[in-house]
Amino acid sequence: MTPEPFFALATVLFSLGIVGIISRRNLFVIYMSIELMLSSVNLILAVFSRLHGDMNGSVIALLMIAVIAAEAALFLAIIVGLYRQRRTLDSDVFSKLSQRDTL
Amino acid sequence: MLENSIFAILALFLLFGSLGMISFKQTVFSGLSFLLAMMALAGLFALLENSFLFLAQIMVSVGAVVVISLLVMLSVNVNEQNLPNEPAKFRWMLFSAILVSPFALLMYKSLTHMNREFVETVAGYGSLKMMGATLFSDWVLPFEIVSVLLLTAMVGAIIIARKEPANDA
Repeated sequence: MTPEPFFALATVLFSLGIVGIISRRNLFVIYMSIELMLSSVNLILAVFSRLHGDMNGSVIALLMIAVIAAEAALFLAIIVGLYRQRRTLDSDVFSKLSQRDTL
Repeated sequence: MLENSIFAILALFLLFGSLGMISFKQTVFSGLSFLLAMMALAGLFALLENSFLFLAQIMVSVGAVVVISLLVMLSVNVNEQNLPNEPAKFRWMLFSAILVSPFALLMYKSLTHMNREFVETVAGYGSLKMMGATLFSDWVLPFEIVSVLLLTAMVGAIIIARKEPANDA
Protein backbone atom coordinates (compact mmCIF):
# COMPACT_ATOMS: atom_id res chain seq x y z
CA MET A 1 0.00 0.00 0.00
CA THR A 2 1.29 3.46 -0.93
CA PRO A 3 1.15 6.50 1.38
CA GLU A 4 -0.60 8.74 -1.18
CA PRO A 5 -4.21 7.81 -0.21
CA PHE A 6 -3.40 8.57 3.43
CA PHE A 7 -2.03 11.97 2.47
CA ALA A 8 -5.06 12.70 0.30
CA LEU A 9 -7.39 11.72 3.14
CA ALA A 10 -5.52 13.89 5.66
CA THR A 11 -5.59 16.83 3.24
CA VAL A 12 -9.34 16.47 2.75
CA LEU A 13 -9.88 16.26 6.52
CA PHE A 14 -7.83 19.40 7.14
CA SER A 15 -9.74 21.26 4.42
CA LEU A 16 -13.06 20.11 5.87
CA GLY A 17 -11.95 21.52 9.21
CA ILE A 18 -11.21 24.91 7.66
CA VAL A 19 -14.54 24.83 5.78
CA GLY A 20 -16.36 24.09 9.04
CA ILE A 21 -14.68 27.00 10.82
CA ILE A 22 -15.44 29.45 8.01
CA SER A 23 -18.99 28.45 7.17
CA ARG A 24 -20.64 27.57 10.51
CA ARG A 25 -21.62 29.82 13.41
CA ASN A 26 -22.41 27.15 15.99
CA LEU A 27 -19.68 27.26 18.67
CA PHE A 28 -19.68 23.47 19.12
CA VAL A 29 -19.19 22.88 15.38
CA ILE A 30 -16.29 25.35 15.32
CA TYR A 31 -14.72 23.50 18.25
CA MET A 32 -15.11 20.12 16.56
CA SER A 33 -13.66 21.50 13.31
CA ILE A 34 -10.53 22.55 15.19
CA GLU A 35 -10.33 19.04 16.66
CA LEU A 36 -10.71 17.58 13.17
CA MET A 37 -7.78 19.65 11.86
CA LEU A 38 -5.59 18.56 14.78
CA SER A 39 -6.55 14.93 14.18
CA SER A 40 -5.68 15.13 10.49
CA VAL A 41 -2.21 16.34 11.49
CA ASN A 42 -2.06 13.33 13.81
CA LEU A 43 -2.80 11.06 10.85
CA ILE A 44 0.02 12.65 8.83
CA LEU A 45 2.42 12.14 11.76
CA ALA A 46 1.47 8.47 12.02
CA VAL A 47 2.05 7.99 8.27
CA PHE A 48 5.47 9.69 8.56
CA SER A 49 6.36 7.41 11.46
CA ARG A 50 5.44 4.38 9.36
CA LEU A 51 7.42 5.73 6.37
CA HIS A 52 10.58 6.13 8.40
CA GLY A 53 10.11 2.94 10.38
CA ASP A 54 10.88 4.51 13.75
CA MET A 55 8.62 5.69 16.56
CA ASN A 56 9.40 9.41 16.69
CA GLY A 57 6.36 10.47 14.65
CA SER A 58 4.06 8.29 16.73
CA VAL A 59 5.41 9.83 19.92
CA ILE A 60 4.69 13.33 18.60
CA ALA A 61 1.18 12.14 17.69
CA LEU A 62 0.74 10.79 21.24
CA LEU A 63 1.82 14.14 22.72
CA MET A 64 -0.58 15.85 20.30
CA ILE A 65 -3.43 13.72 21.64
CA ALA A 66 -2.64 15.08 25.11
CA VAL A 67 -2.62 18.64 23.73
CA ILE A 68 -5.98 17.94 22.05
CA ALA A 69 -7.38 16.83 25.41
CA ALA A 70 -6.17 20.04 27.09
CA GLU A 71 -7.63 22.13 24.26
CA ALA A 72 -10.95 20.31 24.55
CA ALA A 73 -11.19 20.97 28.30
CA LEU A 74 -10.51 24.69 27.88
CA PHE A 75 -12.76 25.13 24.85
CA LEU A 76 -15.69 23.35 26.50
CA ALA A 77 -15.28 25.49 29.62
CA ILE A 78 -15.28 28.62 27.46
CA ILE A 79 -18.42 27.46 25.61
CA VAL A 80 -20.25 26.78 28.88
CA GLY A 81 -19.21 30.20 30.21
CA LEU A 82 -20.31 31.98 27.04
CA TYR A 83 -23.63 30.13 26.93
CA ARG A 84 -24.30 31.12 30.53
CA GLN A 85 -23.80 34.80 29.63
CA ARG A 86 -26.00 35.13 26.55
CA ARG A 87 -28.08 31.90 26.29
CA THR A 88 -27.00 31.28 22.69
CA LEU A 89 -24.43 29.31 20.72
CA ASP A 90 -24.19 31.84 17.87
CA SER A 91 -20.59 32.96 17.49
CA ASP A 92 -21.71 36.28 15.92
CA VAL A 93 -23.36 37.36 19.19
CA PHE A 94 -20.10 37.37 21.12
CA SER A 95 -18.46 40.55 19.85
CA LYS A 96 -17.12 42.00 23.08
CA LEU A 97 -13.59 42.30 21.71
CA SER A 98 -14.59 43.57 18.26
CA GLN A 99 -14.69 47.25 17.40
CA ARG A 100 -17.91 46.90 15.43
CA ASP A 101 -20.04 48.83 17.94
CA THR A 102 -17.63 51.69 18.43
CA LEU A 103 -17.04 52.39 14.73
CA MET B 1 -5.79 -5.92 -1.55
CA LEU B 2 -7.37 -6.48 1.85
CA GLU B 3 -5.54 -3.43 3.17
CA ASN B 4 -6.91 -1.31 0.36
CA SER B 5 -10.51 -2.33 0.98
CA ILE B 6 -10.16 -1.74 4.75
CA PHE B 7 -8.69 1.67 3.97
CA ALA B 8 -11.58 2.47 1.61
CA ILE B 9 -14.19 1.55 4.22
CA LEU B 10 -12.46 3.55 6.98
CA ALA B 11 -11.95 6.55 4.68
CA LEU B 12 -15.64 6.45 3.76
CA PHE B 13 -16.65 6.47 7.43
CA LEU B 14 -14.16 9.27 8.15
CA LEU B 15 -15.35 11.45 5.27
CA PHE B 16 -19.06 10.98 5.95
CA GLY B 17 -18.51 11.51 9.66
CA SER B 18 -16.69 14.80 9.16
CA LEU B 19 -19.09 15.95 6.42
CA GLY B 20 -22.02 15.25 8.73
CA MET B 21 -20.21 17.02 11.55
CA ILE B 22 -19.98 20.29 9.63
CA SER B 23 -23.42 20.12 8.01
CA PHE B 24 -25.92 18.95 10.68
CA LYS B 25 -27.96 21.71 12.27
CA GLN B 26 -28.59 19.89 15.55
CA THR B 27 -25.45 19.97 17.69
CA VAL B 28 -25.87 16.44 19.09
CA PHE B 29 -26.03 14.92 15.59
CA SER B 30 -22.79 16.76 14.74
CA GLY B 31 -21.22 15.32 17.89
CA LEU B 32 -22.28 11.78 17.00
CA SER B 33 -20.87 12.16 13.47
CA PHE B 34 -17.65 13.40 15.00
CA LEU B 35 -17.57 10.30 17.22
CA LEU B 36 -17.85 8.16 14.06
CA ALA B 37 -15.01 10.06 12.40
CA MET B 38 -12.71 9.71 15.41
CA MET B 39 -13.32 5.95 15.61
CA ALA B 40 -12.54 5.59 11.90
CA LEU B 41 -9.33 7.54 12.48
CA ALA B 42 -8.40 5.06 15.22
CA GLY B 43 -8.93 2.29 12.67
CA LEU B 44 -6.53 4.05 10.31
CA PHE B 45 -3.91 4.12 13.07
CA ALA B 46 -4.36 0.38 13.45
CA LEU B 47 -3.96 -0.02 9.68
CA LEU B 48 -0.62 1.81 9.97
CA GLU B 49 0.47 -0.87 12.51
CA ASN B 50 0.55 1.71 15.29
CA SER B 51 -1.17 -0.36 17.96
CA PHE B 52 -0.45 1.93 20.90
CA LEU B 53 -1.57 5.05 19.02
CA PHE B 54 -4.77 3.16 18.17
CA LEU B 55 -5.34 2.47 21.86
CA ALA B 56 -4.56 6.07 22.83
CA GLN B 57 -6.93 7.38 20.17
CA ILE B 58 -9.73 5.10 21.37
CA MET B 59 -9.13 5.88 25.06
CA VAL B 60 -8.39 9.61 24.93
CA SER B 61 -9.93 11.06 21.77
CA VAL B 62 -13.03 8.87 21.58
CA GLY B 63 -13.46 7.82 25.18
CA ALA B 64 -12.64 11.09 26.89
CA VAL B 65 -12.72 14.09 24.54
CA VAL B 66 -15.69 13.27 22.30
CA VAL B 67 -17.76 11.73 25.06
CA ILE B 68 -17.21 14.74 27.32
CA SER B 69 -18.13 17.02 24.40
CA LEU B 70 -21.38 15.08 24.00
CA LEU B 71 -21.98 15.37 27.75
CA VAL B 72 -21.52 19.14 27.59
CA MET B 73 -23.82 19.38 24.55
CA LEU B 74 -26.52 17.42 26.35
CA SER B 75 -26.14 19.33 29.61
CA VAL B 76 -26.22 22.73 27.87
CA ASN B 77 -29.42 21.42 26.23
CA VAL B 78 -29.96 24.12 23.61
CA ASN B 79 -33.46 24.37 22.27
CA GLU B 80 -34.23 25.05 18.65
CA GLN B 81 -34.61 28.84 18.80
CA ASN B 82 -31.31 29.33 20.62
CA LEU B 83 -29.36 27.66 17.85
CA PRO B 84 -27.77 30.12 15.40
CA ASN B 85 -29.89 30.83 12.37
CA GLU B 86 -27.83 29.89 9.31
CA PRO B 87 -29.97 30.13 6.17
CA ALA B 88 -27.02 30.39 3.74
CA LYS B 89 -25.02 27.59 5.36
CA PHE B 90 -24.45 25.44 2.27
CA ARG B 91 -23.66 28.45 0.09
CA TRP B 92 -21.00 29.47 2.62
CA MET B 93 -19.65 25.91 2.60
CA LEU B 94 -19.32 25.93 -1.20
CA PHE B 95 -17.66 29.32 -1.11
CA SER B 96 -15.16 28.32 1.56
CA ALA B 97 -14.44 25.01 -0.21
CA ILE B 98 -13.48 26.98 -3.34
CA LEU B 99 -11.41 29.27 -1.13
CA VAL B 100 -9.58 26.39 0.55
CA SER B 101 -9.01 24.14 -2.50
CA PRO B 102 -5.73 25.79 -3.70
CA PHE B 103 -4.31 25.40 -0.21
CA ALA B 104 -5.40 21.76 -0.12
CA LEU B 105 -3.73 21.16 -3.48
CA LEU B 106 -0.53 22.74 -2.19
CA MET B 107 -0.65 20.59 0.95
CA TYR B 108 -1.22 17.39 -1.02
CA LYS B 109 1.53 18.16 -3.54
CA SER B 110 4.07 18.98 -0.84
CA LEU B 111 3.16 15.87 1.18
CA THR B 112 3.49 13.51 -1.79
CA HIS B 113 6.62 15.20 -3.07
CA MET B 114 8.87 12.98 -0.93
CA ASN B 115 7.95 10.02 -3.12
CA ARG B 116 8.69 7.40 -0.49
CA GLU B 117 7.26 3.95 0.03
CA PHE B 118 6.30 2.19 3.24
CA VAL B 119 9.30 0.26 4.58
CA GLU B 120 9.17 -3.16 6.20
CA THR B 121 8.64 -2.60 9.89
CA VAL B 122 10.96 -4.03 12.51
CA ALA B 123 9.56 -6.49 15.03
CA GLY B 124 7.66 -4.77 17.80
CA TYR B 125 6.94 -1.62 15.78
CA GLY B 126 4.13 0.38 17.34
CA SER B 127 4.16 -1.66 20.53
CA LEU B 128 3.95 -0.11 23.96
CA LYS B 129 7.55 -1.16 24.72
CA MET B 130 9.09 0.61 21.73
CA MET B 131 6.83 3.63 22.22
CA GLY B 132 7.87 3.93 25.86
CA ALA B 133 11.56 3.55 25.03
CA THR B 134 11.35 6.42 22.52
CA LEU B 135 9.13 8.55 24.73
CA PHE B 136 11.39 8.31 27.78
CA SER B 137 14.69 8.69 25.94
CA ASP B 138 14.32 11.32 23.20
CA TRP B 139 11.05 12.95 24.21
CA VAL B 140 11.27 13.33 27.98
CA LEU B 141 11.23 17.13 28.02
CA PRO B 142 8.14 17.50 25.74
CA PHE B 143 6.43 14.83 27.85
CA GLU B 144 7.03 16.81 31.05
CA ILE B 145 5.92 20.05 29.39
CA VAL B 146 2.70 18.33 28.31
CA SER B 147 2.05 17.30 31.92
CA VAL B 148 2.38 20.95 33.03
CA LEU B 149 0.12 21.98 30.13
CA LEU B 150 -2.58 19.53 31.19
CA LEU B 151 -2.44 20.78 34.78
CA THR B 152 -2.70 24.40 33.61
CA ALA B 153 -5.62 23.57 31.32
CA MET B 154 -7.42 21.85 34.19
CA VAL B 155 -7.03 24.83 36.53
CA GLY B 156 -8.02 27.24 33.75
CA ALA B 157 -11.11 25.24 32.82
CA ILE B 158 -12.28 25.15 36.44
CA ILE B 159 -11.79 28.91 36.84
CA ILE B 160 -13.55 29.77 33.55
CA ALA B 161 -16.53 27.48 34.00
CA ARG B 162 -17.43 28.10 37.65
CA LYS B 163 -20.52 30.08 38.48
CA GLU B 164 -19.65 32.88 40.89
CA PRO B 165 -16.94 35.41 40.02
CA ALA B 166 -13.67 35.09 41.90
CA ASN B 167 -13.79 37.02 45.18
CA ASP B 168 -10.25 38.33 44.98
CA ALA B 169 -11.17 41.93 45.77
